[in-house]
Amino acid sequence: MTAVQGDTNAPPETSDVEVLLTIRHFETLLLRMFGEGRLNGTTHTCLGQEYVPVALEPLIADDFVLSNHRGHGHYLARFRDPAGLLAEIMGRAGAVCSGVGGSQHLHRDGFLSTGVQGQSLPVAVGIGLHHKRTGSGRIAVAYVGDGTWGEGAVYEALNMAALWRVPVLVVVEHNGIAQSTPTRLQMAGSIADRAAAFGVDFLEITGHDLTEIRELAAPVVRRVREEHRPAVLQFTTRRLGPHSKGDDTRTAEEVEPLWALDWHAELSARMGEEFSRLDERVRAEVQRVAEEVDARPPAEWEPAGGRLPRPVVSGG
Amino acid sequence: MSPTAMAHALNAGLRRAMEDDDRVVLIGEDIGRLGGVFRVTDGLQKDFGDLRVVDSPLGEAGIVGSAIGLAMAGYRPVCEIQFDGFVFPAMNQIVTQLAKYRHRAEGRASLPVVVRIPVGGGIGAIEHHSESPEAYFAHTAGLKVVCPSSPQDAYDLVRQAVRSDDPVVFLEPKRSYWRKGELDLDAVPAPVERARVLRAGDDVTVVTYGALVPVALEVARICAEEGRSAEVIDLRCLSPIDDATILDSVRRTGRLVVAHEASRTAGLGAEIAARVQDRAFYSLEAPVQRVTGYDTPYPPSRLEEDWLPGVDRVLDAVDRTFEH
Repeated sequence: MTAVQGDTNAPPETSDVEVLLTIRHFETLLLRMFGEGRLNGTTHTCLGQEYVPVALEPLIADDFVLSNHRGHGHYLARFRDPAGLLAEIMGRAGAVCSGVGGSQHLHRDGFLSTGVQGQSLPVAVGIGLHHKRTGSGRIAVAYVGDGTWGEGAVYEALNMAALWRVPVLVVVEHNGIAQSTPTRLQMAGSIADRAAAFGVDFLEITGHDLTEIRELAAPVVRRVREEHRPAVLQFTTRRLGPHSKGDDTRTAEEVEPLWALDWHAELSARMGEEFSRLDERVRAEVQRVAEEVDARPPAEWEPAGGRLPRPVVSGG
Repeated sequence: MSPTAMAHALNAGLRRAMEDDDRVVLIGEDIGRLGGVFRVTDGLQKDFGDLRVVDSPLGEAGIVGSAIGLAMAGYRPVCEIQFDGFVFPAMNQIVTQLAKYRHRAEGRASLPVVVRIPVGGGIGAIEHHSESPEAYFAHTAGLKVVCPSSPQDAYDLVRQAVRSDDPVVFLEPKRSYWRKGELDLDAVPAPVERARVLRAGDDVTVVTYGALVPVALEVARICAEEGRSAEVIDLRCLSPIDDATILDSVRRTGRLVVAHEASRTAGLGAEIAARVQDRAFYSLEAPVQRVTGYDTPYPPSRLEEDWLPGVDRVLDAVDRTFEH
């Protein structure tokens, strides 16, 4: 089943546009700060894909999200917390998990990310199994990319989820490129056919209009939630930036047409002056957050409810 | 108190853990109707139902990964990996998620997951049914690794492992499954991380664990006939290692032999030798000796008696500690 983008005249909610822009300017800022030597470690930005978690968030607001290496948008759409995320990446006070996780290993109530591809799907099955058993009405949502479908754990999890009717929603951000490898060089067949092989519901969404995405995705999410039918929701999207930093192997001729399809340009044309004002306000706000976080002291582990962190240490 | 096989003691321990806490769920391949390849979960699905004893598809990443998800949701899952060699597909889940979660959560959350793995050789099986993978887990910060050698320890440790808020890799020596020993269902268990001195001695310390414990005790008996007094320590917990018990012993005996089935290089023996030379160097009368499996893949079954450390090889190592 494929749903294509139609014409939607209603402008998106201002608060949604603000989140979209927050993610866009956050990611742009990260790349700039890396370039200036103000950040270290690694990062993977979701430039071009921001609309996916923003569109889905109202449909999954109380559900557990398992994110991946390209997860800043997933986090920001859920928590609207650029300061906490930047502090996490920079190791500053107020970090999401005290700077121990960094860009791609975030942990917060109802949210966990890992950079190891596909490994969160079996975990989603366990979480979903709990919700099925307790009748909580909640589901587990796992974000993956197209490249993730090379990993065996994906299929172990799909098999279990379908076999046991577990409320798991797999959201695929299919951006056509796995780091530097285009889909045609890394995937046989299609994600749709793979889902079908497990009897798992599948829907492809190609547009980026938030209202339309929500209308299309809502029945899929509802079936996962109410009928415990696992589903795969594929967003055919585009990665505008590098995989990480300065490692884009695509030519300018390849990337340029992708910008023409970007939601940012489309919304700008559609909303005009109002969009420009919002864009500038959010850009300035993200910049202000960056300066404020940069000035904070280093992150420290704090006692957890009177109980000091006590990692099990091997050796020593 | 009655003589009981380790497999039955484990079964009793799991049953008790499930009775004590309804958050305890078992998940693994063929653990329900069959009761597992080694019958450790025999009868548990019948008595606790298929929601608490879950027969999983083949897929160890799926088993451990879904157990992680269940633990995050408040359960206390116990995974059964069918054979040692089958744990490797689950290594990613164990190393990158299970072991890391408490750290990631700054100590605010942990994963009470037990991964039970039958380990070791001596049952006439094949390579991936006979391996000793303990060093991989001991090398991974964030995991407790235990290995009982007796039915009583098996019963106690499995209940303690289930109660642990942190993940435990629970290694069950296969050739000990059907050895019988006394089992007191209401005994007060020793702390998990405490090694046990099974036989006191003054001249040499033999440290081992799991299926080699009876070998070490036989070595000590023969040593006594030869006029040497050997102390035998059963580690029980392979990570963290109970340094104090080992060091106390070596400071008295001055000689140390470490024996394990696993291959030699970068094994537990190397770790223990390094710790002892670091902290009891001036007590040592001789270099620490290791008796281990060879640095080869596990051999075909007709060769395994030559490959596995036996009484003669441990006695030879003891002799070497008296050559200085």
